[in-house]
Amino acid sequence: MAQALLEQVINGLMTGSIYVLVALGMVLIYGVMHVLNFAHGVLFMVGGYLCHFFFTRLTGSYPLALVLSMAALALIGVAIERSVFRPLQGNLRNQVIASLGLILVIENLVIALWGPNALQLRTAATERLVAIGELRFPMQHVMIIALTAIVVAAMFGFLKWSKFGTALRATSQDRSAAMVVGIPVERVDMASFALGTALAALGGALVGPLFLVFPQMGDAPMVKGLAGILLGGMGSVPGAVIGGLIIGVAESVSTLFLPTDYRDSIAFAIMVAILLVRPRGLFGLRVRGEA
Amino acid sequence: MTRGLITAAVIAALYLAPMVASPYLLHVLVLSCLYAIPAVGLNLMLGYTGLVSLGHIAFAGIGAYTAAYLMVDVKVGYWAALAIATLAAGGAGAVIGSICLRFRSHFFMIVTLAFGLMLFSVMNNWDDVTRGAAGFPGIPRPAGFAPLESFYRLALSAALLAFAVQWGVVRSRFGLILVALRQDERLAEAKGVNAALYKTAVFALGSALAGAGGVLLVSFLRVAAPGSFTLAESINAVLIVIVGGAGSLAGPALGALLFVGLPEYLRVAAEWRLVIFGLLLVLITLFAPEGLAALLGRLAKRRRR
Amino acid sequence: MTTLAVRGLEKRYGGIAALDGCSFDIDGPGIYGFIGPNGAGKTTLFDVIAGATSPDSGEVAVDGRRVRGFAPHRLARLGIARSFQECRVFPEYTCLENLHFSRLALGARPDMQEAERLLQLVGLEAYASEPASSLSFGQRRLLEIVGTFLQRPRVLLLDEPSAGVNPALLEVLTAFILKMYEERPSVFLLIEHNMEFIMGLAAEIIVLHQGAVLERGNPQAIQASPRVIEAYLG
Repeated sequence: MAQALLEQVINGLMTGSIYVLVALGMVLIYGVMHVLNFAHGVLFMVGGYLCHFFFTRLTGSYPLALVLSMAALALIGVAIERSVFRPLQGNLRNQVIASLGLILVIENLVIALWGPNALQLRTAATERLVAIGELRFPMQHVMIIALTAIVVAAMFGFLKWSKFGTALRATSQDRSAAMVVGIPVERVDMASFALGTALAALGGALVGPLFLVFPQMGDAPMVKGLAGILLGGMGSVPGAVIGGLIIGVAESVSTLFLPTDYRDSIAFAIMVAILLVRPRGLFGLRVRGEA
Repeated sequence: MTRGLITAAVIAALYLAPMVASPYLLHVLVLSCLYAIPAVGLNLMLGYTGLVSLGHIAFAGIGAYTAAYLMVDVKVGYWAALAIATLAAGGAGAVIGSICLRFRSHFFMIVTLAFGLMLFSVMNNWDDVTRGAAGFPGIPRPAGFAPLESFYRLALSAALLAFAVQWGVVRSRFGLILVALRQDERLAEAKGVNAALYKTAVFALGSALAGAGGVLLVSFLRVAAPGSFTLAESINAVLIVIVGGAGSLAGPALGALLFVGLPEYLRVAAEWRLVIFGLLLVLITLFAPEGLAALLGRLAKRRRR
Repeated sequence: MTTLAVRGLEKRYGGIAALDGCSFDIDGPGIYGFIGPNGAGKTTLFDVIAGATSPDSGEVAVDGRRVRGFAPHRLARLGIARSFQECRVFPEYTCLENLHFSRLALGARPDMQEAERLLQLVGLEAYASEPASSLSFGQRRLLEIVGTFLQRPRVLLLDEPSAGVNPALLEVLTAFILKMYEERPSVFLLIEHNMEFIMGLAAEIIVLHQGAVLERGNPQAIQASPRVIEAYLG
């Protein structure tokens, strides 16, 4: 039992790390621009596809393909921010609806380009196993958890100490005040979008070797990432990290007691239940726009 | 007056369509009607009240599976099953809606999305009742409506009934209160409106309409499959309402016709038509947020001048 | 009987006390002005009376009935009407529709004649069928206030009615409020920063300071009160 529990906790930390990468990107964009980008999941998926493309067709190096797909997605993120979300600034409803339109566009473009079937992305790290106690995990699992930890640490450092991080935090706290003191908020918007979509790409590129690359691969991570954000308290960066990990571990551990088929529902049930008790999530930030 | 005449003429033409239309065109028209019914429900919520639900089609699924179970497993008659299924979807809408409505704006959207996915998961996995991913086969069409032409008249009448309900609601005190809630909820409450009650009521009504549409859809397809009630279908419902014109009476009809009919007409591969619709949705939010119904109205006005 | 009784209201936001033991009675019809420096708790007080905010402790009673914790719509049905500091009207509804809504939301029939008469009194009759979003801010303010009278309130709460209203419209507003009082005397409570306006309108002034009542009296007495002057200067 203890062994099985440990195995599921580690599995959960792995999927949770993926949710964290998605949640971090979304919370960054939400915090700065107050945009909830439902197309984040398909951008995650594009990350997976581009990584596959760069790996199999161009470079043959997985780490390089990973970085390239992040860079490409950052550019796509900037393009989307400028063409769709910036013109709709302040119109919450239309931003959400436009992001639904983007889901249709991007997902079906990918199907048109690569076909509806899943692609294999074989890397060395999926073949090699590492032993943790008596359990064995693919190297990729460990890599995902480790890389996410590094990214999270780097993010905290960046937000806390870099000049741009300060500008970003200031903008998310009070946009107009930030403008008054001379922070270029539009550039902050663009950068947070680029960073957010690059993180989504990283998630897609990391998951690809484990579960194949397919058009719907981003759907579950997107909604789980969202659940993580809400759980952690909308707009809180540490909240998004802890929320994402909780969702990942909870749904993995739940498979020990409940049929695997309902794993997805567990995450949402937990989210709704916690929000009913604590409407502001575990890290209860004040929601902007609230009196 | 002229608007009434035009509406009457369009309705008459639609009823006479089977005389000239090919089976293929009738098929498209049936699907348009069946997509329009849940869209009317969503229009009342999203268009008139401002509640953006991202799980709307899950309630169509509740209706569909309730009816399937009643008709096939319990041997309840068609119309009774339809009525009970509609009420069941409405009841589920009242209960789930009252939970979702404790959240606002973004939170509301995400919680409706979560409920939509949870309901989908139940449809997909509760093998004993829903027959799981393979779908629930053998759903009948009502006696006398089995041929395509007669089923078309049934679907059309049902859609018209849904539009009549929408028209009645919008013109009533209930409708005025819904529109007021969309404009300024705090003010409406200060004026004496029990906002939570009205929003739950419209959520229930919208869900009941979705449920009825769901029953007719699976009876047309003769099978209830979870694939008909996915998140993607809920997004399509939002698309139909927005493209047609949120908060306009004819919006869902225009949206559904365009959504079902245009791609068939264009005859391009499925993924490209969804690319086109996605782009259309983005462009409409950017440049014509009031939707096609209003756009057409404006054009008509300009031509009359 | 006391129309409105407020007892020991306390309300804290974080560490700051917006209301700190606020108590007073309003015994009968009259126009009462609430003044006080910024942050004295005036709007919080109105929000509590109208049910928009629930206090941490204390009690509010209308006609002897305890109403603390009632939702805004229940209080509206008990005869409390309010305007908002930031001015709220339904932007897509026309002026007349806005006014009809004030009756409709209470389950009453719209009063066409009354709505038109009141619109005329504030000089908005030309805009009767125009959407409220087409009005100037001052005109919207007038429309909002006219709407509160159509609710036939027992207790009327007007939060800074003069704010954003130009001098010409302000005269219209003063005359209108006085006429409404003359026709149907009830309890009018006004939060104001415009001293000239409120001193000319109110028979009694209640001064709030740091979340509690500092002084109460007729305008002359208030203007002469050393405590009030000190509160404003300090």
